[in-house]
Amino acid sequence: MTETKSSLELQALLDAAVDGIVVIDHLGSIQSFNRSAERLFGYQAQELIGRNISVLMTDDDATLHDRFLARYVGTRIPHIIGRGREVTAKRRDSTVFPAQLSVGAVAGADPPRFVGFIHDNTTQRQSELEGHRLQERLMHVSRLATVGEMAYGIAHELNQPLAAIATYAHACDRLLDVPDPDIEEVQTALKQIAEQAVRAGDIIRRLRALARTEEISRAPSDVNTVIEELTELVQADAKAHGVEYRRDLAANLPMIILDRAQIQQVVMNLVHNALEALALGQLDTKEVVVRTRLTRTGDVEISVSDNGVGVDTSIVNRMFDPFCSTKPTGTGLGLPISRTIVRAHGGALDYQPNAPTGACFTVKLPATQADSA
Amino acid sequence: MKERVPTVFIVDDDEAIRNSLRLLLKSVGLAAATLPTAQEFLASYDPQQPGCLILDVRMPGMSGLELQEQLNVRGAIIPVIFITGHGDIPMAVEAMQQGAFDFLQKPFRDQDLIDRIQRALAKDKTNRAELAQRSRVRENFGSLTPREREVLDLVTSGKPNKIMAADLGVSQRTVEIHRARVMEKMHASSLAQLVRMMMDLSEGTQPGR
Repeated sequence: MTETKSSLELQALLDAAVDGIVVIDHLGSIQSFNRSAERLFGYQAQELIGRNISVLMTDDDATLHDRFLARYVGTRIPHIIGRGREVTAKRRDSTVFPAQLSVGAVAGADPPRFVGFIHDNTTQRQSELEGHRLQERLMHVSRLATVGEMAYGIAHELNQPLAAIATYAHACDRLLDVPDPDIEEVQTALKQIAEQAVRAGDIIRRLRALARTEEISRAPSDVNTVIEELTELVQADAKAHGVEYRRDLAANLPMIILDRAQIQQVVMNLVHNALEALALGQLDTKEVVVRTRLTRTGDVEISVSDNGVGVDTSIVNRMFDPFCSTKPTGTGLGLPISRTIVRAHGGALDYQPNAPTGACFTVKLPATQADSA
Repeated sequence: MKERVPTVFIVDDDEAIRNSLRLLLKSVGLAAATLPTAQEFLASYDPQQPGCLILDVRMPGMSGLELQEQLNVRGAIIPVIFITGHGDIPMAVEAMQQGAFDFLQKPFRDQDLIDRIQRALAKDKTNRAELAQRSRVRENFGSLTPREREVLDLVTSGKPNKIMAADLGVSQRTVEIHRARVMEKMHASSLAQLVRMMMDLSEGTQPGR
């Protein structure tokens, strides 16, 4: 009884496998179901023998599977066979799990028979998701850190409209406190009060917009608008450092698919770095310029340059490495995270010395990257 | 000499702050002039114009502290009230050390600012009066003849007429005539007043701000 012996050996082999192994005939009827498959799907082998493989699939996958099977049986041209594909597998209790399915045809069998290997992808998928979430979280935290570094200037900027409101209100009070008050003058002042309140609200709104968004959402955007939205906050930060902030934005740039909050984080980070570098020097006029332009290859380039001393040659090669910081309170994550963000957009973040002095960081964003988004 | 109306100069880069301050000052009947930058203030600065200066510490370009330094270099006597944002205390301290009249944190109570302005204007008036007095004394001193100056030196160092006469080799009567001329030209009513005038003149320092 050598045949029985070899079939027992085969069953032992199948049962020892970690992945689920299922054999079906040309109609999709289950011929064999190993122990791992029992564990994965929650069925006993004898319950399934002779039943159609589609019970192990979601409705969408089942329809697709029937089509693949019919096509192969008809044409004998393999489409899936020999290649794996990601499917959603259905357990006995109707719960689903992500699975990697590899299919092979049994050689010489006629009508054809197929062996399917089912690998449970749950853990891998989870760690992928987890990794992704951690990265998003890190970017968000680093964005908050940058906003935090700018808080001093922002607080000062918020104080301006508040002081103006208080002063206007005091003035109104005094203007009305005379026998024949000039109502028109008071009205003008009241309008100013309202305007200043809106100005204060605007600053807070922009701050919230930056701090809140955690999930990544990409949309076709105008890079200039993305930069303009930062103006109030960056201006506040610049003023706190005694630095002139200028924008030099090229007109008619193509739309870029990007995550607004992330690109703003990159620009903010680069500008804040420049401001801190300038604060160390003793220049008469300190300035940071943010430029946008269209490159010859059709990419959109954002550059942040300053007229400070530039990046020290000793750290030029290391500054994009994590934890390489020259600032006593720096995390050393600003530049590496910025570069990660830009690369995730299919772009590049690079440094070159600015002419005649200072540092210049360029963010290049490819205009045609709708597919990779 | 016609007396000029004191002006409160406001230098702040924030338009809303400038305009609100100007309105507040107008509401209490004070003349104000506003300027958006320190450079513009310096360019139009007239040392003869009485008043005081309200200055934002933190401005792009020339900062408030730098303007104060420039004014110090020029020997300006205009009292400076700094207005600062939150957390600018170290700057305020530096401003005070550099001779600022006072400082205020934004936002402030109107009465606090107005009180400080009134005090600054009073201080400016005293300073200007002292300066005017000193320049009158200097002018009077300039009108003395060489002989009268010799007499003034001896009088203020406490020499009696007899000794002076001997020192100068003239009669006591001549000394008395010179002495009377000195008192008259210097507009001094007593020896004590004359001595004080000469001390003020030799000090020659700026009155404090």
